[in-house]
Amino acid sequence: MRRFCVAVTLLVTACASSQSIAAGAQRADLLGKLCGDTASLGDAGRILTSLAADGSRDDRLWAAPIARAVIDRKLRCDASGAVLVSGEKTLDVLTQAPRMPTEPSRSPLLSLKNRGLFETAEAALALRTAPDVAGRAAALHTLERRAASLPEKLFEAAAEQESDAELKAQMIAVAQAAALNSADPLKRIAALKQISATPDRRALTKVSALLGDPAYAANPAFKRAVDDAVTTIGRGIAIGDVLATLYNGLSFASILFMAAIGLAVIFGLMGVINLAQGELIMIGAYVTWLVQEGLRHFAPMLLDYYLIIAIPVAFLVTAAIGIALEAILLRHLYRRPLMSLLATWAVSLFLINLVRVTFGTQNLNFVTPFYVTGGVPVIGDFIFTWNRMFAIVFAVVTLALTWGVMRLTPLGLNIRAVMQNRTMAGCIGIPVRRVDMLAFGLGSGLAGLAGLALSPIYSVNPQMGQNFVIDSFMVVVLGGVGTIVGTVVAALGIGQINVLIEPLWGAVAAKVIVLLMIIAFLQWRPEGLFVIKGRRK
Amino acid sequence: MSNFTRRSFLQTTGLAAAALASPAIIRPAHAAGGTVKLGCLFSSSGTMANIEGRLNHVVKMAADEINAKGGVNGRTLEVAVSDPASDWPLYAQIGKQMLEQDKVAALFGCWTSVSRKTVLPVVEQANGLLFYPLHFEGDENSKNIVYVNSPPASSVLPAVDYLMGDEGVSAKRFFMIGSDYVWPRTINKQLKGYWKSKGIPETAWKEQYVPLGFSNFQTIVNQIRAFADQGGGKPIVVLTVVGSSIPDFLREFANQGIKATDIPVLGLDMVEADLEGLNTEPLVGHLNCWAYLQNAKGEKNVAFLKQWADYVKANNVPFKGDVAIDPMVSAYDSVHLWAMAAKKANSFDVNEVRKAFPGLSFDGPSGYTLKMTAENNYVSRGVFIGSVNEKQGFDVLWQSKDAPKPVPFSPYS
Repeated sequence: MRRFCVAVTLLVTACASSQSIAAGAQRADLLGKLCGDTASLGDAGRILTSLAADGSRDDRLWAAPIARAVIDRKLRCDASGAVLVSGEKTLDVLTQAPRMPTEPSRSPLLSLKNRGLFETAEAALALRTAPDVAGRAAALHTLERRAASLPEKLFEAAAEQESDAELKAQMIAVAQAAALNSADPLKRIAALKQISATPDRRALTKVSALLGDPAYAANPAFKRAVDDAVTTIGRGIAIGDVLATLYNGLSFASILFMAAIGLAVIFGLMGVINLAQGELIMIGAYVTWLVQEGLRHFAPMLLDYYLIIAIPVAFLVTAAIGIALEAILLRHLYRRPLMSLLATWAVSLFLINLVRVTFGTQNLNFVTPFYVTGGVPVIGDFIFTWNRMFAIVFAVVTLALTWGVMRLTPLGLNIRAVMQNRTMAGCIGIPVRRVDMLAFGLGSGLAGLAGLALSPIYSVNPQMGQNFVIDSFMVVVLGGVGTIVGTVVAALGIGQINVLIEPLWGAVAAKVIVLLMIIAFLQWRPEGLFVIKGRRK
Repeated sequence: MSNFTRRSFLQTTGLAAAALASPAIIRPAHAAGGTVKLGCLFSSSGTMANIEGRLNHVVKMAADEINAKGGVNGRTLEVAVSDPASDWPLYAQIGKQMLEQDKVAALFGCWTSVSRKTVLPVVEQANGLLFYPLHFEGDENSKNIVYVNSPPASSVLPAVDYLMGDEGVSAKRFFMIGSDYVWPRTINKQLKGYWKSKGIPETAWKEQYVPLGFSNFQTIVNQIRAFADQGGGKPIVVLTVVGSSIPDFLREFANQGIKATDIPVLGLDMVEADLEGLNTEPLVGHLNCWAYLQNAKGEKNVAFLKQWADYVKANNVPFKGDVAIDPMVSAYDSVHLWAMAAKKANSFDVNEVRKAFPGLSFDGPSGYTLKMTAENNYVSRGVFIGSVNEKQGFDVLWQSKDAPKPVPFSPYS
């Protein structure tokens, strides 16, 4: 009874304010559904979508903000209807007059199924009403995957109205692809062509379903089109799979490389097994976070670029920690490798606890800048994700710089000399102590850079370093202690093999198999892939 | 006054001061008959530190609350905290020590099932009591463990049922991904049995396990996309990875552009604390299921949240005061359940306390009344299904009308 009264009141208010009685009643009805239970919310979503296809311009403009508001929970239902919170203003949904919600009010929560419906409705409405091309293009992109379930008229109407030629062509293409099950065989053949233009497994599933279609047996032209589409899509998927495997392997390799390169420098030069390497990576990530927070306070417009601004800071801070560590602790232990191992382990525990006490144990909140968000679908099921690309590019640049430092600078020359024969290098006047210190700083700084590169991909917390120590040791030992080339090749190999095995036997088996392969390899070549010529022993 | 020396003066004044102060010291102790010890077995270091560590503080908070009301049976509660460092065998060792040397009246502890399994023989041998605050795989029934959270029949199955139903997403296909240990494997085994009983063919599901602490989810998310694109009904992901793997998985999932409306993730171990640090905007709509959510309605919850926030502030607890997760509430409920049982038995003896369990009920922060029966040490509680929102929390998407009766042993495994 109360609901009825509410509906009547709604109706009356609606009639008073709206131009046409019918539209007002429809709107009030829709509003009642929006504030109803799960089932009627679903109906409301469908009505909104159909409004986008064949509603009047007025209706579409009226409905456009509603779908978005429901998704964002900005629609508040109260006794006298509903209000919409848009920015600072709160407007009554029916009368568009400003008013505050009366208590008690509630904002409906979408169930998952309804969320899908409302996302579709929102995109459909945006396709028809968004003032800018980008907004309409984004809407079209959302609708593309659900095209078959949408009213055919929607895309046709939108294309008719579209002013941007390129977007118009895209809309027509989507409309064509949606006509796969239409009655007209010519339309279906055109749809098949459209679908096979973007080959992925979803398209294959859709097209394969047609093999059992009566038209497939009856119509030779249609049969040929289906067969062609299946072949094209199959080829696209195969190419995509190969590319995806390569890309995944490469991106994993770049992470392994970043984690291992600092270790390789330290281990290779001084024979120090630095168990605190993982924690230096962690500190690099924390420094990156501090830079982000600093920018947030002092230069918010640069916030998006914190990953780039933090590069020198992360390097210098971790390098300084490394140098301090070397000067205070490790230089006393060079002749006792086992002790240095224990000492660096103690340092790692100390650093973990220091960070835990200072920052807490929770994962840090990182802004994800646009250049590490999302990805581009390339071909088949291969998505080129930007955060991994960032890691790959970062690893390549780090590799180039490290190589440059080692090969082209006096410091690099000294480091290589000390690596080959410490005593002889000392005899010819190379300041071995200083080289040690700087090399340790370089290795630690590289770990800091690794932390920076990993922060857009992994969770950053005090424990994160422990994940990397074992992996980086595997890389360094396999590659041959202290060689940059070895580190690169080993990282690439381990990364690629991991990615190849994972889909076949699972991630657990992949880890075990890779470990077994490394052990087997080291039986055959104990020094690793690449050996530095030297007379250290 | 020859005998008035400085020493004697100090002695007398000292004695007098002690005599004056003694009632203040002695009286509560005397009236309370001393303290009774409770033991905590929650790691505050290692992989579980971030989530498990906060339970230590919740137990203390609940004990403080009971003490403020005069304690139990005239005795005040004293909480002994330990750190098993996420190292499973250490749980058993410390548990044994607490039961035999510290003579704790009850233990509150463990998060992962593997840690509970190591403590189980210890509490059985010493006839101790362990209150276990996590929802878990069931298939276990010890008279020495109180399973304060829910077995799958009253948490996971209702959630899966909801997703398979019309109100959910009519899920038809399932990608299971879990960490490689007992809890995910058992849950998935039960789920497969359940789906089989519903006539769902074996081709409609896929199972993958990753090592604990795994973080490189790129390939697996690719597999999930391929699985979803094969058609044949709505796919969902049943996520049973634990610890730091949860945010890493979610991050990769969102980054490959998969929305909750395309492939929803049902995270069985996902709590509010796992979303800290994540940009949850592209994750809105993913699901979890627990016996409590921070957004549960009701005065009890408001009071609990305030109590926790105040406690964090007053005691400088290194965790966020505005985040509450199910195991925290379950730990809080545990202490109260134990205190009620001890009061009812008017004893701290484990056998007596256990005899007092049947018929106990407690109105917890979740808004449901927790009940214990004579049948077993399981507690009947409500079920919530949460939906990730953009504020790193969960909205209550669905909740059970009342508390389902817990079924310890699954008929589906």
